[in-house]
Amino acid sequence: MTPKIDFDEINKIVKFIEERNLAEFELEVEGFKIKLRKNAPPSAAPAASFSAPGGPAGAQEGGILKTADLEPGGKADFHLIPSPIVGTFYRAPSPASLSFAEVGDVVKKGQTLCIVEAMKLMNEIESDVDGVVKEIFVENGKPVEYGQKLFAIAT
Amino acid sequence: MFSKILIANRGEIALRVIRAAKELVIKTVAVYSESDRTSLHAMLADEKFCIGPAKAQDSYLNVPNLLTVAEITKADAVHPGYGFLAENARFAEICETSGLTFIGPPPSIIRLMGDKNRARQEMAKAKLPVIPGSDKILDDPAEAKKIAQKIGFPVILKASAGGGGKGMRICRTATHLEEQFPIAQNEAKSAFGDPSLYLEKYITGAHHIEIQVIGDKLGSVLTFAERECSVQRKYQKVIEETPSPFVDERLRRRMMKAVEDAAKHIGYQSLGTFEFLVDKDKKFYFMEANTRVQVEHPITEMVYGVNLVKTQIRMAAGEKLHFPFTLEVRGHAIECRINAEDPETFVPSPGKIEFLVLPGGEGIRVDSAAYGGWQIPPHYDSLLAKVIAYAPTRFLAIKKMQTALELTTIVGVKTNIPLHLAILANSDFLEGIYDTSFLEKFLAPKPEA
Repeated sequence: MTPKIDFDEINKIVKFIEERNLAEFELEVEGFKIKLRKNAPPSAAPAASFSAPGGPAGAQEGGILKTADLEPGGKADFHLIPSPIVGTFYRAPSPASLSFAEVGDVVKKGQTLCIVEAMKLMNEIESDVDGVVKEIFVENGKPVEYGQKLFAIAT
Repeated sequence: MFSKILIANRGEIALRVIRAAKELVIKTVAVYSESDRTSLHAMLADEKFCIGPAKAQDSYLNVPNLLTVAEITKADAVHPGYGFLAENARFAEICETSGLTFIGPPPSIIRLMGDKNRARQEMAKAKLPVIPGSDKILDDPAEAKKIAQKIGFPVILKASAGGGGKGMRICRTATHLEEQFPIAQNEAKSAFGDPSLYLEKYITGAHHIEIQVIGDKLGSVLTFAERECSVQRKYQKVIEETPSPFVDERLRRRMMKAVEDAAKHIGYQSLGTFEFLVDKDKKFYFMEANTRVQVEHPITEMVYGVNLVKTQIRMAAGEKLHFPFTLEVRGHAIECRINAEDPETFVPSPGKIEFLVLPGGEGIRVDSAAYGGWQIPPHYDSLLAKVIAYAPTRFLAIKKMQTALELTTIVGVKTNIPLHLAILANSDFLEGIYDTSFLEKFLAPKPEA
C-alpha cells in the first residue's frame, strides 16, 4: 500500500513543529517513517532522557508510554500530576479538538491539561505549577486509577 | 448469571468473594487504596483499580470512584463484603439505579434493619420476642428513668443508629442512668451522626446466639443452626462455634422457625444474620439483624457442607434457592479470629510480616489475606486470619484448633494467638459453660491468693 503522505503533508508537519516549538518529531505509518529534528541548542534535553533509563530506545515512543507505570520511584526530577479520581483520561475537550497539552508545551499554573471523565462528568485537570510538559503517561481514552501519574512537568 | 463482579472491599472477605466468583466462572474486579497496593485481593482479582488514598472515607467508601470503576470495567454486580458499604441502603440504591446488581438484600430491608429501634418494633410485629424496653426514641433522661423503673434495672442504653458497642451504656441505678444518658447521646452523635437513644433491659448471664438466614428473590427462605458467639471482648467476637454447647434441639428448632417466619414476614433476601440474646432460662430475645455476609459464616459452611457466598451470588442473579442435598448439621466447627494485636493490651500491631506459616491439614480451614513479606497497613481492622477447625465432635474440634494454633508461626507482628490458646485450655470453655461475661472475667486480673 502506498502511503498517502506527500510533500504538502510534510510541509504541514514542519509548520506544526514550528508553531508548537517542538524540538523533535517522529511519525511512522505503514511503510513510511519520518523523523524531523530542529537545530535546537544542546541544553534542550529530549523528554526521553529520564523516561527510559535503559537507553535512548524510549525516544522511539515519542514520550507516551503504552501502559502507565504504577510503581512509585523512577527519576523524580519533574513535577508529576497524578489523577485525583478514577475515570477515563481524555487529552482533548472533544475527539475533533486539539489536545490541551503536548509534550514540549509551556503550561501555566491553573491551565487545563486533560479531562478525566467520571460519572458522566468531565473533570478538567489543571496544572498546579508553571513549567514545560515533559511527558504524558497515559494514552487518550484509557482508564486511569486514583493517583496514577498523568503528566511530568519540568518547572 | 453475572459476567463480572466488582468487590467493594479488601482483606480476607475480598478474597472470599474472589474464590466464590472464580468457582462460578465470574470475573472479578478488585478495588484498593494506595496503602493496599501490595494486598492480596488486588493481586488475585482479574482486574484491579486504585480508588483512593489510605483513608477509607476517600477510598473504600468513595462511591463515585467505585461506580466509575464498575462502569469502566463493565462489571454487572457489586459485592460489598462486610463493613464499609455493606449495610449502606443508599449505596445499594445507587447501585441498582446505575444498572448494577447489589449483592445483598433490597435497600428497604437494609434501611429497616439499619434503624435498630425500628427493626426491633418490626420484629416484634413478626412475633419475634424482643427484649423489654422503650418502644421509641427516648426524649430525655426523665423518660428513660420512667421506663427503666417499669422494666427494672439494670438497663442498657443503645444508639438507634448504632452498632459495635458505641453509644452503649449499662446502667444499674436511676442516678447512674441520668448521668450516663448525655454521655451516650454524645457518643452516638459523634460515632453515627445521630444522637437517638433507646433502652432495653440488660440481661445478665446471657448468650450471644445468632441464626444464619438466606433468601432468594422468589420468596423462599432457609435458616441454619445457631452460631454461639459469646466469647466476646467489648462486643467484639473472638471465638465462635456451631452448634452451641448451650443450645438444645428444642431451642434450636424454635429459634430457626422464629427467624424463618420473621424473615418471610419482611421478605428477606440474600444472606443475613439475626442476632439474639438467650438468657439462662433459654428464653431468646431478638437484638439486631445484620444484612450482609458475617465474618464467622465459615463455621456454618463447614458443618452444613455449603458455600454461603456462592449461594448468595446465585440468589442475587435471580436463581431459585435450592441445595441438591438435605441440609443438616454434621460435626462441630470453631473459628478463632487471629488479630494483629498485642495479646495483653489489645493494641493493634501493624507492621511487616517477616515470616508466616499458616496452619493446615485435615479439618483446618484458613481464611486470610496475609502472606510472608506483607506490610500490614495500619488503616484498617486488625483481622489477620480466621482459623476454622472442623471435626466430628466439639472436643475433637477444640483439640484440632489447639494443634493448629500451636503450629502457626507469625513473625514480625504480635497476634492474639496466646489468648486463643489460653481460652481453649480453660476448663469452663472446655466444658462449654460460658456466656457473654466469660472473657471479661477471664481477662480480669486474678486476685493475689
